[in-house]
Amino acid sequence: MDNSVPLFDFAAVWSSRALLLEGFGIAMFCATAAIILAMIIGLFIALMRLSNSRILRAFAFVYTQLFRGVPLYVLVIWVYFGLAIVANINLPKIPAGIITLALLNSGYLSETFRSGILAVSVGQSEAGAAIGLTKRQIKRFIVLPQAFRIVLAPSGNQFVDAIKDTAILSIIGVPELMRMAQQQADLFYRPFEFYTTAGILYFIAVMGVTKLFTFIEKRMSRIGFTNSSQKLTNVGEYI
Amino acid sequence: MLEIKSVSKSFGELHVLKDVNLNVAKGEVVCIIGPSGSGKSTLLRCMNFISPPDSGEIVFDKVSWRSYRSKFNVLANLRYEKKLPQLRAEIGMVFQHFNVFPHMTTLENVSLGLQKVRKIKKDEAKQVATKSLEQVGLSDKLQVYPDQLSGGQKQRVAIARALALNPKVMLFDEVTSALDPELVSGILDEIRRLVREGMTMIIVTHEMKFAFQVAHRIVFMDQGKIVQVGTPAEIRNTQEPRAKAFLSSILE
Ligand SMILES: Nc1ncnc2c1ncn2[C@@H]1O[C@H](COP(=O)(O)OP(=O)(O)OP(=O)(O)O)[C@@H](O)[C@H]1O
Ligand SMILES: [Mg+2]
Repeated sequence: MDNSVPLFDFAAVWSSRALLLEGFGIAMFCATAAIILAMIIGLFIALMRLSNSRILRAFAFVYTQLFRGVPLYVLVIWVYFGLAIVANINLPKIPAGIITLALLNSGYLSETFRSGILAVSVGQSEAGAAIGLTKRQIKRFIVLPQAFRIVLAPSGNQFVDAIKDTAILSIIGVPELMRMAQQQADLFYRPFEFYTTAGILYFIAVMGVTKLFTFIEKRMSRIGFTNSSQKLTNVGEYI
Repeated sequence: MLEIKSVSKSFGELHVLKDVNLNVAKGEVVCIIGPSGSGKSTLLRCMNFISPPDSGEIVFDKVSWRSYRSKFNVLANLRYEKKLPQLRAEIGMVFQHFNVFPHMTTLENVSLGLQKVRKIKKDEAKQVATKSLEQVGLSDKLQVYPDQLSGGQKQRVAIARALALNPKVMLFDEVTSALDPELVSGILDEIRRLVREGMTMIIVTHEMKFAFQVAHRIVFMDQGKIVQVGTPAEIRNTQEPRAKAFLSSILE
C-alpha cells in the first residue's frame, strides 16, 4: 500500500458536508411525511379490517398482505416506473419515494393499530355502550385514545425503520443521504469514509426519534395512564 | 316498567337463556341469584342489548325493543344501531370489573355521557358530574385518574357515571365480586341509598344476606331458566328442590 495516501481521510467528507446534510434533510423529510401518511392510511385500513362489512374487511386484508409482502425495492420501482408505464402517471422522485414508504409502512401500521384496538378490553366498549354512546362515539372517545397509547411504542419503531428504509429510495435517484454519499464516495474514491458518515447520521436520527417517542410516552404515563411501555419496563426488572 | 318477554339466547350450541319472562315494576328492587353459569349476567346484558337476545323482546316504558340485523339492508342496520343508544341511556349499568375509562379523570368519566349522550354543555356537565361524584363520596378525587383509585373508589366512579345520566332503571352485575372484602359493604351501602330513593333496580349478586334484605322480589335462575320468583320470605322457605339446594349450599 502506498504510504503517501492516508488510511482514513475525512477531509473529503468535510468538504462535501453541505451535500450530505441536504441528503440527510431529504431523507428525514421523506421518512416523516411517509410515516404521517402511513398512520392515517393505516388507521383507516385497521378500522376496515375490524368493520362489519365483508367487502371492506377483504379489501383491507389484501391491502395489508400486499404492502407487507412486497420488498421495498420492488415497490419503489412499481410506484416510480410502473405507474408511469401502466397509468401514465409520472411522479417526481421525492413524492414517489414518499408514497412508496407510506404504502409499505401503512401495511405494517394497520396491523399494529388493529391489534392495539383489539387490546382495549371489550369491557371498555360495553361500558361506553351502556351509557348510551353510539358505536362511533365509543370508537372516538374510548377505544382509539386508549389504542393510541398502546401503539405509540411500535409506531416509533416503525418510524425508525422508515428512516433507514429511505436509503433504498436511492435506486430511483431520490437525492437522499445514501445517494449523496454514494456519489461523493465515487467522486473522491473514499467509500469507507462517506458511508460511515452516512451511517453515523442515520444513527443520530434514529437516536433522536427513539428519545422523542420515549419522551411522549413518559408524558402520557404522567397524566395517569399506565401504558404498555411501562409494563414492559416492569417485565425488564424481573429478567 | 321493564318487561322481559320470552327472551332466549345461545352461544353456539350452548343455550344460555331459554324463554325467560320477567316483569319489573317501577320502584321495584329485584335481585337475581343462582349458580355460576346459570345465565344471570347474560339476562342482565340482554336487557340493554349489550348482549342482544336471539329472540324475544324487551318492553321498556311501553316501547318494545327487539334484536335486529338485516343481512342486506346496511342502512336499516345503521338506523337500528343509532336507536339502541336511546334505550341504553335510560338504563344504567354497573359491571363486576368497574370498566372505568383509564384515560379520563374521574370527572371526565362521569361527564362524558352527559356531554355526548345528553348533549349538555361542558360546564354544566361538569357541575352535574361533580354533584353525582359527591353523592358517592368522591368529591376529593375529581381530577384523579383511575389507576390511583382503589377498587371500591373505581366502582363508585362507575356508579356515579351511570347515575349522572338520571336513568330510570339500574342494572348491577355482581358489582362487589371483584372487591377486597373490606370494601364490599361501602358499595352495598351505595345501593341501599338508591333503594331508599326508590330507584328501580335489577341486581345480580352472590351477597345473599344483602339480597334478602333489600329485594322486593328474588329471582332464582338455574340452567338458563327462571326457576322461581318470590318475595324474600317465599324464597327463603322455598320447597322447589333446586332453589332449596342452592340456598342451603350457600347459606350455611
Ligand atoms: N360471550 C360468550 N361466549 C360464549 N359463551 C358465553 C359468553 N358469555 C357467557 N357465556 C356462557 O354462558 C353461560 C352463562 O353465562 P353467564 O355469565 O350469564 O352466567 P352467570 O349466571 O352470570 O354466572 P356467574 O355467576 O359465574 O357470573 C356460561 O356457561 C358462560 O360460559
Ligand atoms: Mg355473571
